[in-house]
Amino acid sequence: MSAGSDSILDAFLYETNTLLEQLDSIVLAAEQQDSFSQEDINTIFRIMHTVKGSSAMMEYNSLMTIAHRAEDLFAIIRDKTMDVVPESLRPELFDLLFQTIDFFRGELEHIENEQPLTENIDTLLQKVNRLIEQINSGGQAPEAAQQAASEAAAGAAPSAPGFPYGLQVFFDEGCGMENLRAYMLVNSIKELCAESDFTYEPQGVDSDPATADQIVESGFMLYFRNQDDRESAIHAVTGAGAVRAYQSVDQPAAPAEPAEPAPQPAAESAPAPAPQAAAAAPAPAPTPAPAPAPAPQATPSPVSQKSEGGPHHKESLISVNLNKLDQLAAVVGEIVITESMVTASPDLKGLKLDAFTKSARQLRKLTDELQDVSMSLRMVPVSGTFQKMNRIVRDMCKKLGKQAKLTLVGEDTEVDKTIVDSIGDPIMHIVRNSMDHGIEETPQDRINAGKDPVGEIILSARHTGSEVIIEIIDDGQGVNYDAVLAKAIRNGLAFPDVEYSHKEILNFLMAPGFSTNSEVTEFSGRGVGMDVVKRNVEEVGGVVSISSEPGKGMTTTLKIPLTMAIMDGMEVSVGGSIFTIPIHNIRQSFKITEADLIRDASGGEMFKCMGSFYPVIRMRELYQMSGGATRMEDGILIWLDAGDLSYCLFVDELLGEQQVVVKPLPSYLNHFNIKPRGIGGCTILGDGNISIILDVTNLYTSAR
Amino acid sequence: MTEQDVLYGGNMAANPESTPVQTQTEKYLLFVSNNLLFGVPAAAVEEIITNHTITSLPLVPEYIRGIINLRGQIIPIVDICCFLGRDEESNSCIIILQTQDTQIGILVDQVEKMVDIPVGSIVPSPSQSGQKLVCGMCSLEDGQTMLAFDCAQLLELS
Repeated sequence: MSAGSDSILDAFLYETNTLLEQLDSIVLAAEQQDSFSQEDINTIFRIMHTVKGSSAMMEYNSLMTIAHRAEDLFAIIRDKTMDVVPESLRPELFDLLFQTIDFFRGELEHIENEQPLTENIDTLLQKVNRLIEQINSGGQAPEAAQQAASEAAAGAAPSAPGFPYGLQVFFDEGCGMENLRAYMLVNSIKELCAESDFTYEPQGVDSDPATADQIVESGFMLYFRNQDDRESAIHAVTGAGAVRAYQSVDQPAAPAEPAEPAPQPAAESAPAPAPQAAAAAPAPAPTPAPAPAPAPQATPSPVSQKSEGGPHHKESLISVNLNKLDQLAAVVGEIVITESMVTASPDLKGLKLDAFTKSARQLRKLTDELQDVSMSLRMVPVSGTFQKMNRIVRDMCKKLGKQAKLTLVGEDTEVDKTIVDSIGDPIMHIVRNSMDHGIEETPQDRINAGKDPVGEIILSARHTGSEVIIEIIDDGQGVNYDAVLAKAIRNGLAFPDVEYSHKEILNFLMAPGFSTNSEVTEFSGRGVGMDVVKRNVEEVGGVVSISSEPGKGMTTTLKIPLTMAIMDGMEVSVGGSIFTIPIHNIRQSFKITEADLIRDASGGEMFKCMGSFYPVIRMRELYQMSGGATRMEDGILIWLDAGDLSYCLFVDELLGEQQVVVKPLPSYLNHFNIKPRGIGGCTILGDGNISIILDVTNLYTSAR
Repeated sequence: MTEQDVLYGGNMAANPESTPVQTQTEKYLLFVSNNLLFGVPAAAVEEIITNHTITSLPLVPEYIRGIINLRGQIIPIVDICCFLGRDEESNSCIIILQTQDTQIGILVDQVEKMVDIPVGSIVPSPSQSGQKLVCGMCSLEDGQTMLAFDCAQLLELS
C-alpha cells in the first residue's frame, strides 16, 4: 500500500465529496421552499465548518478561505434565523451556495488530478462578502440584544424559576458536538411547546463549542413550565440521535413564582439598534456564564435509561476501498474453487466417507453463501447518481428559462458499484438532452399543447432478474421525425430516397456525430451526443433504446446487467486456448461446410443466414494463433450480436455455458493495446485455468 | 495446482546474517537467465513459483508469455530470455516481483541464492549502448559479476 499521506488525502476527498453531496441536496430542497429550516442551516454550518477544518489541515488554502466565509455567512443566518435574509436576496443566496459547491468540487478535482489549486478566489470571496454585508444591512441584526438577553436568561437559569419540571439529558459518550446536538434537541422541542414554556441550560449551545464540555459533564438541562410539555419533550428526546440517558428532575417545592417568561425568547423579535459589528467576525456569541453545575439536584427520579441498542437511527455504514472488495471477491472465488478441489480430490476416490461428505456439503453451503455476500457488498443504490440530476435540472431551468421538475422512481435500486460509476455521465447527458430538446421552449407552448406548464422528467430504475432498467422519460415535445431524418440526410447518415421506419430514424440519434440542435448550446450538442452515451452504456454491457411519441415526449431506456463482475459466458476453444463469449451476445451457432461460405471481391468471407449476409471472422487468423481449425467442417460458426453489429465468429468448439467472475486484465498489459482488439478481460475457470473474455464489439472493429 | 509452488519468501526474511553489520547491505536475489547472472532487490520479490500453467495471450509480443492465476490474482509473465532476444530452452521458474504497485512475473532459467550487497557497490554498466533491463553491475565475493536487474524498466516495456 502507498504512503500514509495518500490515505489521509483519500479520506479527505471522500469525506468532502460526501459533504458536498449532502449540501447539494439540502440546498436544492431548500430552494424549492425558498427558505432554509433551522436544521438545514445548522447542517450547512457544520458542513462548512468541517470543510474549513479539514482543508486547513490539508493546507488547501483556497478551500479553507471560501469555506470559512461561507461558515461566517451561515453563522449569521443561524443566529438570526432565515428571516434575516430578505426575500429579494434569497435567490442570490442559493446561487451563491451552488457556486460555492461548484467551486469546492472544482478544487477537489484539481486535488485529485494533482493540479495546483485555484489561486484567484477573489470573485467568489467578494460575492460572499457582499452578501454578508447585504444581509447585515438589510435585516438590522438583533444580535446584541439577543446576546444580552441570553446572558440574562443564563443567569436566571440555574434555578430556573417558574420552570419546575426539569429534564436532564445525557448524550452518548464521545459522540462529539454535544452542544449542537443539544441545540437540535431544543429546536425539536420548540416544535412541541411554546418557546416561552421552557428554557434550557447551558445557554448558547448553538454558538459556543465550550458548552459541549459542560453538557458532557453534567448533562443538558431542560426546564418546563408544565408537566405535559415535559412529557411531550421526552418523546422528542427519545427520538433524537445519540441520547444515552435522560431523567426527570423535579423541583419539589417549586417556588410559586409565576415569573415572567424568561426574557430570552422575547428578545428574538426585539429589534436592536446595534447592527452586527464586523461581518468578518465569525460571530461567536460570548460565552454565557457557565451555570454552576447541574442546577437543582432535587429528587432525581430516573424515568428510563435508554439502552445503547435502542431505536437509534445512527448510520451504520462504513466506507471501504473498492480494491479491498475486489480482493475479497477474488479470495472468495478462490475459496470456492479450492473447496471443490478438496471435496472432489482424486485421493478420495473409492472411499466411503459419510462424515466427510456431510461436512463437505455443509462447507459447500457456506461457501456459496459467502460468495453471495461478497458479491452483494459491491452493490450500491443508484440514488447518488440520480440525486445529482436534480442539480442539473435546476441549473438548466434557470439558464434556459424553462420550467421542469425531476421525479425519481426506484432510486434505492442496487447496482454494481462500477456500473453506477459508469452510468452517471450517460444519464446526465440524456437528462440534459431532455431539458434542452425535449421540454418545450416556453410554458405557454406547453399550455397550448394541453399539458402542465411545468415539464416533468422522470428518472426511474428497476430490476428485472439479471438486468437493471433505467428509464429517462420526459413529457416534452417528442422527437420530430422529419427534422431528424432531414438532418440525418444532411449529415450523410441517411439516403434521401429511402423510406425509414420511426425506429430507424430514432437510431440516427445515436449515430456518431449527430446532434439535433442546429446550434451548439452550453449543455448539450457539443457534437458528442447520444453516440457517446451509447458507447458508454455498451462498455458496461448495456443497451440503449429510444422511443418517442410526437407531442407526448420521449423515453430513453438503458438496460444494464446488474453486475459486471459475474456474467453468463460460453466457453469456446481455439487451438489450445479457451475464450469466453458473453452469452447475451450469442444468437445462434451453425455447423457449416466450406461450400456455404460466400466470398466477396476483397476476399472477405460471408455467411448467408435468414436472408441476410453476415461477415465471418476466423478467430485463429484474427489472433494469429498457431493452433486451431482451418476447415469450416472442423469447427463451428457462432452468430454474434452486439448492438447493431452482427457477424459470425469461427471457432473450434463450444465447450459449454458457465457463469464466470469477470476479472480485469493486469494493467501492465494495457501497454500492448489488446483491449481495443477484442480482449475484454479474463476469468478463472473451475479448474484454475484462465479463460480470456472476448469483447464482441471490439473484436469486430479490430477485424475490419 | 499450487502444491508445487515453492515459497522462498519466509527464508529470505529469516535468513540470519552471521556477518556483523558494518557497512549497510541490501539483499539481492540472484537468478540465471540465458547464462547471465542477474540480481534483483529482495524487497521487490514476492515469491518464487515453479511449474505454473501459463495461459498465453494473443496479440502481445512474444516475450509476454501470458498470464497466470496465482491464488486468484491474474499476473502477467515476461520471458526475460525472449526479451533479451535469445530464444532458448524451456524455463520453468517464475519470480513474482512487486514493483510500483504492480505485480509482474519474470520467467527465468534458475534461481540461485540470496546475497548481501553493500549499498553503493553497484556501479553503472560501462556499456555505451544502454543495457536492456540492466541498471548496474556489481562484483560478488566469489568473483562472479552480477547484473542488477532493472525492475522499473520492466514496467515500461512495450
